Amino acid sequence: MDWAVIPANLPFLMKGLWVSFQLAIFVIALSFPLACVIAIGRISNRWWIRYPSATFVNAMRSNPLILIVFWFFFLVPLIIGRPVGDFASVMIAFVVFFSAYFTEIIRSGIQSVDRNQIQAGISTGLTYFQVMRMIVLPQAMRNMMPALVTECIIIFQGTTIAYVIGLREFLNSTFLVTERTIRPVELYLFAAMVYFTVCFAGSCLARYLEKKKVRTR
Amino acid sequence: MTEPLVKITDLSLWYEKYRALDSITTDFHAGKCVVICGPSGSGKSSLLRCVNRLEEFQEGDVLFDGQSLRNCPDIAAVRSEIGMVFQHFELYPHMSIIDNITLAPRYAKKKPKAAAEAHAMALLDRVGIADQARKYPAELSGGQQQRAAIARALALEPKLMLFDEPTSALDPEMIVEVLRVMRDLARDGMTMLVVTHEMAFAREVSDEIIFMDAGRIVERKETPDFFANPHSKRAQDFLDRILMKI
Repeated sequence: MDWAVIPANLPFLMKGLWVSFQLAIFVIALSFPLACVIAIGRISNRWWIRYPSATFVNAMRSNPLILIVFWFFFLVPLIIGRPVGDFASVMIAFVVFFSAYFTEIIRSGIQSVDRNQIQAGISTGLTYFQVMRMIVLPQAMRNMMPALVTECIIIFQGTTIAYVIGLREFLNSTFLVTERTIRPVELYLFAAMVYFTVCFAGSCLARYLEKKKVRTR
Repeated sequence: MTEPLVKITDLSLWYEKYRALDSITTDFHAGKCVVICGPSGSGKSSLLRCVNRLEEFQEGDVLFDGQSLRNCPDIAAVRSEIGMVFQHFELYPHMSIIDNITLAPRYAKKKPKAAAEAHAMALLDRVGIADQARKYPAELSGGQQQRAAIARALALEPKLMLFDEPTSALDPEMIVEVLRVMRDLARDGMTMLVVTHEMAFAREVSDEIIFMDAGRIVERKETPDFFANPHSKRAQDFLDRILMKI
């Protein structure tokens, strides 16, 4: 074992980790609001809003992420006639893919709130949107917080898929260093440790939120 | 006779193929407390919920204070003049009691926060739980929660109060504290429509009783008269059963 390989390559590896974080953060920040809109579409009374929303969610959830990544990387440039950057194409693919999963979490969160709460709010003269904003969504948010945090962890782990199109995120950076140093054991152990630390912290947060939810019910 | 506060004409309500209300025509005058009773599934709650259009009825109309609910440009404004109390309280669990009560006055009626809170405190005092103002609904007993829900409805300064089985979800010893608040309201001249199985309350507090069955009003009488000589066979049977005359 030669652990010196890690400090020696740390700046390069950390640059990769930063790309992973950036990707995850952009994807979460963009797919969450998109998912809120689609989720409200999913529970709409109007079929011409509800059906397309459902179709989108089902289509995304029935395909492997790697295929969606390829699709955006190879097909979109053909369609629009010019290349899309690595980072941008992966990010868009992730946003599209994970917004489908967020949609289902948000939809079930909204539906977990008792329908009578809406009626109670409406009966006091509040409008439907006031009731949604002040009564339903805060309760839905608290119910779905643990699932949202868990999904964010999955997104962070999912950023490794960007490896297939050669984006220099953390796993790809680690791979590049092993190619050069021929120290796969040390480097992949280190990578595992980093992913574990981030994801374990996240799942601790999810568990804490879950407990808090049960307590305040 | 003055114009009625609520005037219902040929009101029908369907749930899919099922006719919950069958062309009901009746009215309610200001200052009266009317109890609506009848077997379950008879349409009592449905009728109550048509009065503020929580149920979208298909036929007929409800006039509230002269305003048609069918052709209503601003139904929210009408609803904000009608207080409603639900079987399961429906307090907002993520807000303190005082916030529960001030929400609609502040956001539906645009009342300043300080004025809304002062009014809410006065109402909580009136229903006897002023000391619970800063607590959350889950920290209160069922009876206290229902009294808070009554205060929330009263905060609208309503012209009419609707009670949808307000004591059905409560333990017996808590029913009394809620009924007392309702009795005091009726004595202060509040216009009330109450769906309930509490016949002792009906006998003591209400001015009139409506008996419903199968989506129709079978009988409507002054309270003493209803108990003394219920006209229809169905009302007699119902009374016998509910007063446990075996």
